[in-house]
Amino acid sequence: MALFDVSGYKNHLELRGNILGTGVRHFNFGTTNQEFAVPAGMDPSGFLKSCSREGQGGVSIDLNHGTTTLAFKFRHGVIVAVDSRASAGSYIASKEANKVIEINPYLLGTMSGSAADCQYWERLLAKECRLYKLRNKKRISVSAASKLLCNMMLGYRGMGLSMGSMIIGWDDKGPGLYYVDDNGTRLSGRMFSTGCGNSYAYGVVDSGYHEDMTVEEAYELGRRGITHATHRDAYSGGVVNLYHMQEDGWIKVCKEDVSELIHRYKKGMF
Amino acid sequence: MNQEDTSMLFGERTRDTANSGYLWRNSGSPLHLSIPAAEYLSESPIQFGQINPNIASNIIPTLHQDSVFSFPPGFPPSLSPTVALPFTMSHGTTTLAFIFQGGLIAAADTRSSCNGLVACPASQKIIPVHSHLVGTTSGTSADCALWKRILSRELRLYQLRHGRMLSTAGAAKLLAHMLHPFKGTEVCVAATLCGWDGGQVDTHLLQPSSAGMGQEKNIAIISQTESQETFLSPAISAEHCSAGAGLGFSGPSLYYVCSDGTRLRGKLFSVGSGSPYAYSVLDGGVRWDLTVEEATSLAREAVYRATHRDAYSGNCVDVYHITSNGWTRRDREDLKEEYYREKEREKEKMKERKERQEGKDGPSSSGNK
Repeated sequence: MALFDVSGYKNHLELRGNILGTGVRHFNFGTTNQEFAVPAGMDPSGFLKSCSREGQGGVSIDLNHGTTTLAFKFRHGVIVAVDSRASAGSYIASKEANKVIEINPYLLGTMSGSAADCQYWERLLAKECRLYKLRNKKRISVSAASKLLCNMMLGYRGMGLSMGSMIIGWDDKGPGLYYVDDNGTRLSGRMFSTGCGNSYAYGVVDSGYHEDMTVEEAYELGRRGITHATHRDAYSGGVVNLYHMQEDGWIKVCKEDVSELIHRYKKGMF
Repeated sequence: MNQEDTSMLFGERTRDTANSGYLWRNSGSPLHLSIPAAEYLSESPIQFGQINPNIASNIIPTLHQDSVFSFPPGFPPSLSPTVALPFTMSHGTTTLAFIFQGGLIAAADTRSSCNGLVACPASQKIIPVHSHLVGTTSGTSADCALWKRILSRELRLYQLRHGRMLSTAGAAKLLAHMLHPFKGTEVCVAATLCGWDGGQVDTHLLQPSSAGMGQEKNIAIISQTESQETFLSPAISAEHCSAGAGLGFSGPSLYYVCSDGTRLRGKLFSVGSGSPYAYSVLDGGVRWDLTVEEATSLAREAVYRATHRDAYSGNCVDVYHITSNGWTRRDREDLKEEYYREKEREKEKMKERKERQEGKDGPSSSGNK
């Protein structure tokens, strides 16, 4: 347009091409906006390694998956339970962080690892799920949603992302539970637990799980798993956020403080 | 006998490499330890069997005056070139112990692993120290076995000198102090000492009572100890009685001792790579008023869950029960069978539940609640 020429306005794509040049690693996710272009030669994960405790002098920024989240499938859907402690090293940044992202009424995502990474990428996933529904007039399946997230992670593999998340939903194939990792791991399973408190949760859920539990029993098991993990793990704590994924969507069951729950479960010896 | 050998204090390093292979000779106190000449300790990180070749030539072996031993060629080890470690060692196990009204339960798996190789699927990780004290072991198997034997020896010597058995607290302190000179080296011992203080005194250290846990077992121990007490010399037994009266505490006690110097007293411990899995199961189930059967099945369940999830624990489970009469050992059980038995039990329970559901609902289809 003549006005463009006169004012010197340039289309943003043109501008980008001028600034970034051609030797750039692009993350092409099929969308024409919002990408992180990393200059050639930069090594984010190497930089992060130098900042951690093993690196040189004094600086210690450790990205631990400091949390406990668990999810398991049973006959009446999927139970999701997470703690709520956000820690920055040994400082508790928040005791009521929200580690479950409600992507839409039939999809949930849990977060463990770097809070910033999880929140950003899962919100991006929510956006993509919505776009899918608008384009294809049907809901996205849990398998496809987890694959989208997994491909996002693979696009930035080796660059220092830290995210361990579970995608939970109910689609045509029934209840779905997938574990997605910053390495690009994507696993479907019956039960997962992530975070540094995961081993404590595994012990409890393994010993109490059976396929035909009632709904109340399943709620108790999810609560107990998180409670015992928060009792022993320093980086987990706060409240238990418990969700139940049913056929017609998820419901939030409860939000209970672990310091009260532990007294119920430890049977008063210690 | 070097009575004036006060320079050879606990923890002090000496240049006397001739003593390097024989650490506890002619000791006036049980804690007499001599450390081999150790320039390389400060110069380079400890690596198994590897020494700085420059230092080796400087070490002159000076034989101790009282030594009448002729060392074989290649001894002391610091003089000879040694081979590098063929594989890296790593420590994986699940052991646990807790106190309840019926005494103490100690349980452990039986897998010895070497970084991915199962070196021994039937090792023994709970070692009896004496009739009323067992120790669970975690860390390097060799170190644990050696230090347990040293501890038994020192406890026996204490008993002979003082006429009474050292308490669990004392044994824990002794072990911690004996391990202290090796802090910073690659000795890795993480043990929980489970003992009953003030129990019946026996002159025999180890009572191999591995028959099971029936009532007749306990009676057998009692009769054995009674017969042995008659062999005690009058002086010792009198001393024992007065010392026994002076003992403040009697009952079960549980200590965790680690080669980095930690020594903790508690009511519930689990050690090893599988310990997080065991902890959560135990936290939910351990109470003071468990019966013996409930406590043993809880301990078995905790080890089973840990072996199910942890790669470095597995194979079988050992359970020991310590009471005022001493320790008794349950027969070793293979956890692979337990896994299949559990699956069978689950199937049975599901069938029962389904039948009950169908009985209640009658002809209606779904059993959803």
